[in-house]
Amino acid sequence: MAWRLPGDNTGYEPVQPVAYSHRLHAGDMEIPCLYCHSGAERSRYAGIPATSVCMNCHQLVTAGKSAVDEEVLLAEEEERPAKRIVSPELAKLYESLGLDERLAPTPGHVEKPIAWVRVHNLADFVRFDHSPHVTAGLACQSCHGPIETMERVRQEASLSMGWCLSCHRDLSEAGIAGKAVHASTDCTTCHY
Amino acid sequence: MHQMTKPKRYWMTRVDRDAPAGVQPEFPTHPQADALATRRAFLKTAGFSFAGLAAADCGSAPQFALPHTQQPELTPGRGYSYASTCGACEAACGLLVTTHDGRPTKIEGNPDHPLSGGATCAVGQASILGLYDSLRLTYPTRGGVRTTWADVDAEILAALGSARQNGRAVRLLTGTTTSPTTSALIRTLVASVPNGRHVVYDPVSSSAIPDAYLVTHGLRLLPHYRFGDADVVVSFEADFLGTWIAPVEFTRGYTARRRAGDQGVSGNAHHVQVESRLSLTGSKADRRIRVAPGDVGHIASHVALRLSMLAGAPLPWTLEEAAVDSAVLDELTERLWASRGRALVVTSSQDVGTQVVCNLINQLLGSYGTTIDLDRPSNQRQGNDNDLQALRAELARGDVAVLIVAGVNPVYDLPDSAGLVRDLERVEHLVSVADRLDETARLAHVVCPDHHYLETWGDAEPVAGVVSLSQPTIRPMGDTRAFIESLTAWSGVPQSAYDAVRANWEQSIYPRAGAADLFSAFWNRTLERGVVELTPTVAAPLVFSGDGLSPVDRVAANAGGLALVLYPKVAMRDGRHAHNAWLHEMPDPVTKVTWDNYASVSPATAERLGVSDGDVVRVVSGDLMVELPAFVQPGQHDGAVAVALGYGRAGTERFNNVGPSWLQARTREGPVGRSAAPFVVAGDGGRRYDGRRITVTKTERRHRLASTQEQHSLAVPGAVAPIGTSEHSVVQETSVADLGHGGHPHEPHPDLWPRDHQYPGHRWGMTIDLDSCTGCSACVVACQVENNVPVVGPDEVSRHRAMHWLRIDRYYAGDDDDVTVAHQPMLCQHCEQAPCEAVCPVLATVHSSEGLNEQVYNRCVGTRYCANNCPYKVRRFNWFDYPREDVAANLVLNPNVTVRSRGVMEKCSLCVQRIEEGKIEASRNGVAVADGDIKTACQQSCPAEAIVFGDLNDPQSRVSTLAAGGRTYRVLEELNTRPAVQYLKIVRRDENESHG
Amino acid sequence: MAEVGQALELPLIAGNKRPGDVTNDVMGVIERRPSLLWWGGLLLSVVALLIGLVAVTYQVATGIGTWGLNGTVGWAFDITNFVFWIGIGHAGTLISAILFLLRQKWRTSVNRSAEAMTLFAVVCAGIFPLIHLGRPWLAFWMMPYPNGRGPLWVNFQSPLIWDFFAISTYFTISALFWYVGLIPDLATMRDRAKTPLKRKVLGWLSLGWDGSFRTWHRYETVYLLLAGLATPLVISVHTIVSMDFATSILPGWHTTIFPPYFVAGAIFSGMAMVLTLMLIARKTMRLEDYITPRHIDVMCKLVVVTSGLVGLAYATELFSAFYSGNAHEQFAFINRATGPLAWGYGIMVACNVLIPQLLWSSRVRGRLLAVFVISIAVNVGMWFERFIIIVTSLERSFLPSSWSSYTPTLIELATLLGSFGLFFTLFLLFCRFVPAIAMAEVKGVLHPHPRPPAEADGTSSVLAEVKV
Repeated sequence: MAWRLPGDNTGYEPVQPVAYSHRLHAGDMEIPCLYCHSGAERSRYAGIPATSVCMNCHQLVTAGKSAVDEEVLLAEEEERPAKRIVSPELAKLYESLGLDERLAPTPGHVEKPIAWVRVHNLADFVRFDHSPHVTAGLACQSCHGPIETMERVRQEASLSMGWCLSCHRDLSEAGIAGKAVHASTDCTTCHY
Repeated sequence: MHQMTKPKRYWMTRVDRDAPAGVQPEFPTHPQADALATRRAFLKTAGFSFAGLAAADCGSAPQFALPHTQQPELTPGRGYSYASTCGACEAACGLLVTTHDGRPTKIEGNPDHPLSGGATCAVGQASILGLYDSLRLTYPTRGGVRTTWADVDAEILAALGSARQNGRAVRLLTGTTTSPTTSALIRTLVASVPNGRHVVYDPVSSSAIPDAYLVTHGLRLLPHYRFGDADVVVSFEADFLGTWIAPVEFTRGYTARRRAGDQGVSGNAHHVQVESRLSLTGSKADRRIRVAPGDVGHIASHVALRLSMLAGAPLPWTLEEAAVDSAVLDELTERLWASRGRALVVTSSQDVGTQVVCNLINQLLGSYGTTIDLDRPSNQRQGNDNDLQALRAELARGDVAVLIVAGVNPVYDLPDSAGLVRDLERVEHLVSVADRLDETARLAHVVCPDHHYLETWGDAEPVAGVVSLSQPTIRPMGDTRAFIESLTAWSGVPQSAYDAVRANWEQSIYPRAGAADLFSAFWNRTLERGVVELTPTVAAPLVFSGDGLSPVDRVAANAGGLALVLYPKVAMRDGRHAHNAWLHEMPDPVTKVTWDNYASVSPATAERLGVSDGDVVRVVSGDLMVELPAFVQPGQHDGAVAVALGYGRAGTERFNNVGPSWLQARTREGPVGRSAAPFVVAGDGGRRYDGRRITVTKTERRHRLASTQEQHSLAVPGAVAPIGTSEHSVVQETSVADLGHGGHPHEPHPDLWPRDHQYPGHRWGMTIDLDSCTGCSACVVACQVENNVPVVGPDEVSRHRAMHWLRIDRYYAGDDDDVTVAHQPMLCQHCEQAPCEAVCPVLATVHSSEGLNEQVYNRCVGTRYCANNCPYKVRRFNWFDYPREDVAANLVLNPNVTVRSRGVMEKCSLCVQRIEEGKIEASRNGVAVADGDIKTACQQSCPAEAIVFGDLNDPQSRVSTLAAGGRTYRVLEELNTRPAVQYLKIVRRDENESHG
Repeated sequence: MAEVGQALELPLIAGNKRPGDVTNDVMGVIERRPSLLWWGGLLLSVVALLIGLVAVTYQVATGIGTWGLNGTVGWAFDITNFVFWIGIGHAGTLISAILFLLRQKWRTSVNRSAEAMTLFAVVCAGIFPLIHLGRPWLAFWMMPYPNGRGPLWVNFQSPLIWDFFAISTYFTISALFWYVGLIPDLATMRDRAKTPLKRKVLGWLSLGWDGSFRTWHRYETVYLLLAGLATPLVISVHTIVSMDFATSILPGWHTTIFPPYFVAGAIFSGMAMVLTLMLIARKTMRLEDYITPRHIDVMCKLVVVTSGLVGLAYATELFSAFYSGNAHEQFAFINRATGPLAWGYGIMVACNVLIPQLLWSSRVRGRLLAVFVISIAVNVGMWFERFIIIVTSLERSFLPSSWSSYTPTLIELATLLGSFGLFFTLFLLFCRFVPAIAMAEVKGVLHPHPRPPAEADGTSSVLAEVKV
């Protein structure tokens, strides 16, 4: 464990309630970040997608391909219609929406959000707004690291004031993708 | 750092229109139950679209993030505003309500509204706190115990049924209702019972005005006064800039007219105030005439007589000599006559005779059709005191079977409350529609709590032809019900408020609009814009009939004795908002006293009585007695003792230990202030507020008045006198003449040193027009709401620790009798060479590249050196952790502004959160920030449009052009602090009033 | 004139001492069981200290709001006490360093305790800037240290940062100076120590002093060097403290006369405090022979001089305000002298300028009780001087709308009391456990060859003459 300043959580990689893989979704499937974290370009908060957003795909995709194929083969042998296979991780998803195994709403169900563990925590007195960073053309990875390669999300940067400032200073010099930007270093850019 | 919070709070803060119907209200009805949720945890949860389960330490223990299950249609974390209508008073100004994640957090004026423009008043600004009042009644009660709406309706319908059969009297007692829908529903309900009647009264009555129009024009109406079209305004006692009828609209018109001219000064504008106490309006008058209480009628008669002579048709009146020097009256009359058709004379007197004379004057001046609009009458005061008298007689006889009291509190408002209580107890079915168990609701058998106006659908037509909608901006916080819905339920056809309003609009408003498109389109358009203007159906024009006019006699025996003047205070008005801490802490614009009402007397009278500020005096009239602290008020008539209405409301004991509690904290007892309502004179022809003879005796006790301004500026030695024409004066005056020649543009001091700061991009600055500023203090409250400024309570205020970032300094000049007043909004001046910045050891306050003086709370260690070194004394220190444990009240906090902790300095930031938001929004749209895109909270609310904020680097911006004008100056310029906030000099339009 | 002549001939140490006697006398104080007077004093001081501790704890836990400060008056008791104690802390180093360089032999009897007083006073002073913070637990932000904030340094423009450095340096040097001076006496204690443990510890503390020529030589050199180092600090510390005010823009604070004004005031108050303590120590610890009327006499003269300086400063302030033609400046002083705190201004002028003039008369200087009373008066007066400067200027500055008044709370009074408690507790402990008089140095100024007893009476008669 490397020596770190207090409050520096670099490398924080908590276990999540659902074994969701950014590597799979953002990496292999190449789903754009903003598809799920749509707040990032419009709001201060990137936001964690609502369960309903996941359902856009997982209405259909309920388990890994191999498991499904297995069931199909088995069904053919036993000459019966294939059952729907629901992977245990996705089951948590359906539970949160109160759906039964046929993905139909169970009567009198209550929707429960999934309690994700926050990875990136800023102090209360820091006002970070995603949207200007996204609209300036900054890649998500420049702060969040190679998310598309992570099975489980890990805090890459220290998120310290010095870290923010150095980037603001550099970009004001260099610009983003050749486009000049003014990344202010006034205190009230983040503290008010 | 973060305290443990219960997960269930996320569901509460998860608010929102997308929650399924019938779930428990998303906010705790008894926040104490959730006392664990402290403000910091709250801000976190509220700030994020999902809530964070904060734990002991960010480092190790995990914080959970709970997303929605269904994606909301709005982007979490963004503020949205909805057009609506203010329900804080009958003026019904247009609003834009800003919500964050489903919580209304700020009220702004709706710029599209033809009457109020973008402006609001202090009361409107503060009314949002009422929504989150944890002591609101959140469920219907019957016999004092909680019950269901079905049960309530059953009882009421039964009562109405029986009354219908045996023809017993059913009475509906309400205040003025500007809502067309509500009025329509009331008519239906009242019509549905044979012996039904709707009685309307205004807590502070203006019924003499309609009564007078019945005499002079044969129709009982309240005209629409158009101050914007009047050059010369003469007001007899009417506090039209502060509290009278529609102060926001009147202030806008009045100040706009006075600005009409080059350098924003109209030479023609002139305002004469004839009054006994020093009102906010009087403090702005070009000429103020002190008269004894109730004497205005006689003086008005003199003016009328003189005018009639000038008109060539002298009235056959012989008048006793006026209490005012006749030369003054001659001048006044000639000024009026010279500006016929551009003059307006108003009076708030409750004496019908005086009102009639006032109408006569306006007739002689040709005001009707020019400055007074009778075709589009106002609905803002519909009270009829004669009806009220009749009702009280009925009650006394015990004739009333069902009495529904809605939105008013007669037991508090009306004199002889004891008698009223006795009578009300004899009413078989007393139903109260109130937001809490107030003085009247306590007697009611059934209490039907109404929604807060931000929770319900509704509409308003404050002035004929101007109709606005109000829409809910949050799900109801409790099991309350809109009055509209109650009415429909009691008329037997239950409807949702939405359906009721929409239906009524389809029937009655839509046709009047004569819109080409479908109703749905019209509805949606109006809903988005918030207001629609209709061409009124003008009946046969009203004509003035001059027969039977008689002058008003001089009030007898004024000499020596003292007469009481009851008045509504700018913040507290009639007391309906007495549970609003923001309004209690707002310093009175003239006296600067908070958290109290008091008996104000002139310095001469104070000397005679041997009292000074804070001495408790006993005010006695007959068998009525009230004990109040005395307050010495320069400029008040020696025969007058002025006491504010609206205080001493039941339940305001809740504020007795508001503010920090510590060893030497001084708590209070009893309600906030004392009620003066018993002293109202209820005679034929309406309730009267002045003229009651009283005796005042000093007691031995003292009561500490919490004033934000200790120093009586008349006592300031001449060398440092605040008001004057010298360039060292804090408040600088000029005259129309001086402006004519030599309104030299403002030159900064030459300086040997190079400029420390370059401003490559923006350079934010502000101008404040002291000639326009009326001191109404809307900005003070707006700033408090926007910036999460805490309420500190009377003890802290009296210790000079009020936290308002924006205060309004009040200065006097002249002498005790003829006092001139100046209001000066004082906020951080954002100096280019800031004394505070140099001395902070830890760089917690520094200069930004855009000219802001930044205060970084999280860096501040609290040496207070900056505050000591600030010549404007605008820095505010967090002496304690100010209590914010009322979770419900915390919901009003602006998530874009840090809540400051104990031990740090804070001050005006020029609403930097709005600046940042504006810049981000512009960059998001790929455009530059345009002038006017970013408005500070104070500027947005200002009815006088005295405050202008903008980019000084942009020569075209309004602030730059104003700063370049001839009236500009900087306060304490000799210190060479180079403030970014500049002031425009007061223009003295009356030679007798200028100083220096 | 005659008097002065005789005074000069007087021996510095009365009682016809031999070096051995000195050791016995001084060590006696430590080795004897403490007197009841001492116990009483300690009890009082500790009680005061505890009261102060409670007050400070409550204030830190609750908030600065428990002080009587407000939006207009941001400093009052806190900074007043701070400047007051720093002032007291001046005499010590002045006596030890400057008078040492000036070869003022009479200092030897008083320098030890004066230096101790300095240390304790600076300790008391140092507490106030700390506890007056809104968030004292973040006081370390005043120190420039590498950090991950960008990095973010302190504001070297701010006089408070200068204070921080000035005071810490001053404390370090004073402590060092005091300790070095202590070494030979520690050795003496070591040699007289009864228990082996004591001997060991003192052995460590006296850095293996062996009284050889080399040791003495090194010692003298170091002492001289330290004296040279300490001298400028005496001037710098209070100069810098005065800049907290002088660099501000507040009328009544913003004035260039402050540095000399404050230094003079500091020496003034310091001398007064030394006098107070000496007179107490002399009586309670029977050191009449070492702290003779002559010492008192000399210090009284210093007090008169500095009192004159202070008086001049007061006059100059008023004149320059009048001459400035600046309305705010003029008002600030009119308000100071005639405003709501005029009574305080009165006390200040009376105690600092008028009363000390009595010390012109050798009669008064000879009457130790009178001197004691005067020295107390000066201490009071100097406290009020700081209070008046700070509070009157803040109460009524530029905008009449913000004028306000200040009244201390119980918490503040308790804190002030506590600081005195701390001071006297430390001082009394010092008297018990460390030779209150620099034996080594005193021995150096003894009469070379003690006289026959016959003349001894003569000496006392001369003393009697001085007393008159």
